[in-house]
Amino acid sequence: MDKQFARGTILIASLMVAFSVAAQELSTKWDQKSYIKFLHTQFFIPDLDQSLSDQLFHHRYSVKYYPNKNWTLRMDIRSRLFYGELVKSTPNFVQSIADVNNDYFDLSWVVASSKSVVLHTMIDRLSAAYSKGSWDIRIGRQRINWGIHTFWNANDIFNTFSFTDFDYEERPGSDAVLVRYYFNGNTSVEVAGKATNHINKGTYASLWRFNHWNYDFQVLAGYFQNNAVAGIGWAGNVGNAGWKGEWSYFHALDEGGRNVFTGATGMDYSFAKGTYVQAGFMINSQGETKAPVTELFNFSLSAKNLYPYRSALYVQASHPVSPLVTGGLSVIYSPVKSQPFFVNPTVSVSVAQNWDLDLVGQILWNKTDHFYSPLQAFFLRIKYSY
Amino acid sequence: MIRPQLILPFLFSITMLQAQSAREIVQKADEKLRGKSSIMEMKMTIVRPTWTREVELKSWSLGDNYALMYILAPSRDRGVVFLKRDKEIWNWQPSIERMIKLPPSMMMQSWMGSDFKNDDMVRQSSIVNDFSQEIVGNETIDGRECYKIELIPKESAAVVWGKVILWIDKKDYLELKSEFYDEDGYLIHTMYGKSIKVMDNVLLPSVLEVIPADDPGNKTLVEYVSVDFDVPLNEDFFSVQQAKRIKP
Repeated sequence: MDKQFARGTILIASLMVAFSVAAQELSTKWDQKSYIKFLHTQFFIPDLDQSLSDQLFHHRYSVKYYPNKNWTLRMDIRSRLFYGELVKSTPNFVQSIADVNNDYFDLSWVVASSKSVVLHTMIDRLSAAYSKGSWDIRIGRQRINWGIHTFWNANDIFNTFSFTDFDYEERPGSDAVLVRYYFNGNTSVEVAGKATNHINKGTYASLWRFNHWNYDFQVLAGYFQNNAVAGIGWAGNVGNAGWKGEWSYFHALDEGGRNVFTGATGMDYSFAKGTYVQAGFMINSQGETKAPVTELFNFSLSAKNLYPYRSALYVQASHPVSPLVTGGLSVIYSPVKSQPFFVNPTVSVSVAQNWDLDLVGQILWNKTDHFYSPLQAFFLRIKYSY
Repeated sequence: MIRPQLILPFLFSITMLQAQSAREIVQKADEKLRGKSSIMEMKMTIVRPTWTREVELKSWSLGDNYALMYILAPSRDRGVVFLKRDKEIWNWQPSIERMIKLPPSMMMQSWMGSDFKNDDMVRQSSIVNDFSQEIVGNETIDGRECYKIELIPKESAAVVWGKVILWIDKKDYLELKSEFYDEDGYLIHTMYGKSIKVMDNVLLPSVLEVIPADDPGNKTLVEYVSVDFDVPLNEDFFSVQQAKRIKP
């Protein structure tokens, strides 16, 4: 083990211990939780007759401190240890993980790296929040989640994320300021702005939420990376089923930029035995009509570009086989020339009180002269929460 | 000979009288457990022949229509909040910082893998207002004499159950047993009230045990760790704002 790597590991370990000890002693003012995950990935690329494997240890430590009842200070540290064939065979692997998920402030460190092992750590939440009466104010690295739909979030303009990265549910934060005012418990207006090096990359917007006819509604307007953006979203019920949707229109402010109308709508229903189904569609007016399915692993995803194709239909079903085991299957299909299918089977198992196991597949299908699957990825994940 | 026209109104008024009192009994039992408002800490244990799981939570409630629950443990779910306002239910997921509105059909889903349904936890339906109540017998449970009361959902009410039978103790209005049937008349689960004791000056079953009908080897226990009745809470407390803000 090289020196730098050992130093980094010791530094992180001692930080964890220091925080845990402090947190236990002051338990009423501190709230902390952590998990560690192991993820094994197996990729199959039939065209290249290639199979690659990749391993990842992923640790997250989240701590909140309440100096008094109005203030909350928060920090989350995400550390990942990569090793395996994918690390070795990917040129510039370090760069590919180090700079993404990072915002205005550089809070990301490659603690150690060699040809086959990389240890990376970052602070993806670091914020101070003040709440009193009708006001919430939060400054710092934070997640501003304006999404309301279950699959695609055209209103979620403060986040960047990867469609296939199911292992990062918290998602990177934005270095931002958020001010929210509640007219009553369920009606609020919030204004948020994100720090950037250049105004073209910035996002500044306002969201109005309210509840009417037993529906949650939201309306947003603002500036999104050189676009004017306006959007709406809702979540309510039709009979016993849920009905959710969110749509945005991006008006490009730079020359040559494209105006985009995008969003998704869907319904979900839960049967008495626990079987849960949802189905719906999305539209991306600038989406591709000719690209092959592998575009899914390459396209640059944002609220303005949720899915690489012009439109898509999705169906998802899950069923608890027992209280400990849930099986699920999602299928996304795009009615374009290459007829891309994204098939996502999942099995989740609660192994013991704080142990979870997930098996996940991401299988791509499309049509060239015949239907075939150019890429299959399988994941085995073990998670321990404490 | 007595003319039937005279008997009918008389019979009708007896039924009315009885229905009224069945409703009153249910109301007394309902208020007993909830108080007008309450703050409780509970520990839930899911018991299976080969494994157990525990969930700890804190809940705030006001009458039948307002409830807020904060998951304290296990660590994976710490900070998850369920909010109920009238007929609407939301779930706050702190890991992704999102408020998810739950469809009514989800009320029959198991709550966090237990034998409780979501409906049991947030009591979407009111046993007082959403059902018509009728006394169908008297039985003794654990040495306590009980009214056996049948609840049939009113047509206008959005109720997930087809029928509920309650055994309510005559002396202290304790719900000692309840059977929940689906719309096809099949028994789904039975709930027992046990370990009767005084908590915050109220005599109540401090442990609830739920046994699913199709798997009698399984059960879920809920134990009240602490209860605080008639606390100052108003409707405004049960808001999306609170659900995001609340600290245990």
